[in-house]
Amino acid sequence: MQSKSIRHIGAVLAIYLLASANPALTATRWSDAELALLRLQWIGNLPQLPDDPGNRFADNPAAAELGQQLFFDPRLSANGRVSCATCHVPQNHFTDGRPVARGIGETSRNTPTILGIAYSPWFFWDGRSDSLWSQALGPMESAVEHGSNRIHYARILFSDPQYRSAYEDLFGRLPDLTDTGRFPLKASPVGDEKARQRWQSMSALDRQAITRVYANMGKAIAAYERKLLPGPSRFDRYVEDLLKGQYEMAEQQLSASEVAGLKLFIGKARCVTCHQGPLFTNHGFHNVGTPDPATRKPDYLPAIIYLFLDKPEADQGRYQGVRLARQSEFNCLGEYSDASETDCAELKYANTDHRATLGAFKVPTLRNVSRTAPYTHAGFYVTLSEVLNHYNNPPDASVGHSELSPIGLTQRELEQIEDFLRSLDSPVNADERLLRPPAR
Amino acid sequence: MTLNMRFTPAIPLFMVTLLLLSTFATHAEDTQNTPNSNEGKHFRVTYQSSVEPLPLNRMHWWTLEISTLDGNPVEDATITVYGGMPAHRHGLPTEPEASPTGGGEYIVKGLKFSMTGEWEVWVDITASGMNEKVMFKFEL
Repeated sequence: MQSKSIRHIGAVLAIYLLASANPALTATRWSDAELALLRLQWIGNLPQLPDDPGNRFADNPAAAELGQQLFFDPRLSANGRVSCATCHVPQNHFTDGRPVARGIGETSRNTPTILGIAYSPWFFWDGRSDSLWSQALGPMESAVEHGSNRIHYARILFSDPQYRSAYEDLFGRLPDLTDTGRFPLKASPVGDEKARQRWQSMSALDRQAITRVYANMGKAIAAYERKLLPGPSRFDRYVEDLLKGQYEMAEQQLSASEVAGLKLFIGKARCVTCHQGPLFTNHGFHNVGTPDPATRKPDYLPAIIYLFLDKPEADQGRYQGVRLARQSEFNCLGEYSDASETDCAELKYANTDHRATLGAFKVPTLRNVSRTAPYTHAGFYVTLSEVLNHYNNPPDASVGHSELSPIGLTQRELEQIEDFLRSLDSPVNADERLLRPPAR
Repeated sequence: MTLNMRFTPAIPLFMVTLLLLSTFATHAEDTQNTPNSNEGKHFRVTYQSSVEPLPLNRMHWWTLEISTLDGNPVEDATITVYGGMPAHRHGLPTEPEASPTGGGEYIVKGLKFSMTGEWEVWVDITASGMNEKVMFKFEL
């Protein structure tokens, strides 16, 4: 009797030891708390696209169609060669692979992906826009991006019969732009001095009419961008299998190293505190001390030289961004927004305190992170391992104070997290026709 | 030399238990959440969130009920609400605004907790010449 029970216990032990020898099988034994966290990150947990109360055309199919035309149209630029898709390249998950974006000139910021961006309450790395439609307008009048002006863009709509008809069906009649005395060729409140003077020479009503056309262009582009969403990755299939209790199937989705990396991601490495939710971002702003190329001193000059040089201006990030958002004529509370005041809580209650905002940048999504290098707001890091090393041994912030503290991950653990991040490659969950310029 | 050791069921049983414990042990750090009601030397504050349980990364509001320790509603208080995550050395992502709604109740608009982890919310109360800060702590 006793020897039978010994054999029985021995067999249980042997099975358990065998199972323990397979790290993948062991790793599937997640605690309830961990499973709850994984479910939070799972794409199946992505809620319905939030409304955009500031844009009553946000879910209008005709507006999305017009927006797609505008998104891919290089005529909407100073040299006729820059469109939104110049930097947001659909084949590159709507990024450009460059450290910083390049349009007419070079910007100071990296091009983020726009897959799933409509879930964010804030736009740009510094959150200087509080809606997708107002974000679309920023680059169009930036001297280094599209480089032209709102009256030029309105004129393109006016002179192209297809645009004109699509626009007027949606938004009403365009102003008659044939009179260049009344509507100068180049005029904008944010352009060079001459453009600003011409803008001021226009009547207040005409300025308002042009700005309304410009805002409507942003609303159409946003209606298109809202359709660009990420699809399920291997990580999502893994979690789905886990939640269904299909452990063997789950193990076919992720390797042992990827599972170990995931465990670190939601545990020891604390990545999930900010890269949280099905888009792997809390849409918040944090100072993680990512290097600012503007303030970096080349090693080839002795340090003492810098005492005599002008201090380069550091990118203040959210500190500046939240102020710009509050001032913007296109914000949630502005006259071109369709929102009511109660819809504008994000803008109204945004934290502006310098300790909370100085040097803080938006937490980017990690979906497709392995395919959207370089990284950080200024594209400073080229590889994921450089980024992970930064988090493991965080440097002091170049402006403000970093929220990070050393994690103490081993080289092996860093590699496992990197492996896991590769499982977040998510195909575009949108009609193929949305990924190229529409036929005209 | 021969090692004379009797094999008993207790050994594998002990090993299995040890292995199971080590695999399934959870490492959750227990945060001592404060109750919805807390008090200082002068005031008692009770909060009710517009969304329960407290939501992650979602704008919502709290209703505060403020009374003296002997239960009288405090109607004329100046309230400031702030907070943050001490472990991450940052404040709230928002600047909430409190306004009285009568009978010792105050509505705090613009609350949002953007990360998992331990949060603190401080209610700074000035009334009848007295000032006090009452703190709530919770894990999200």
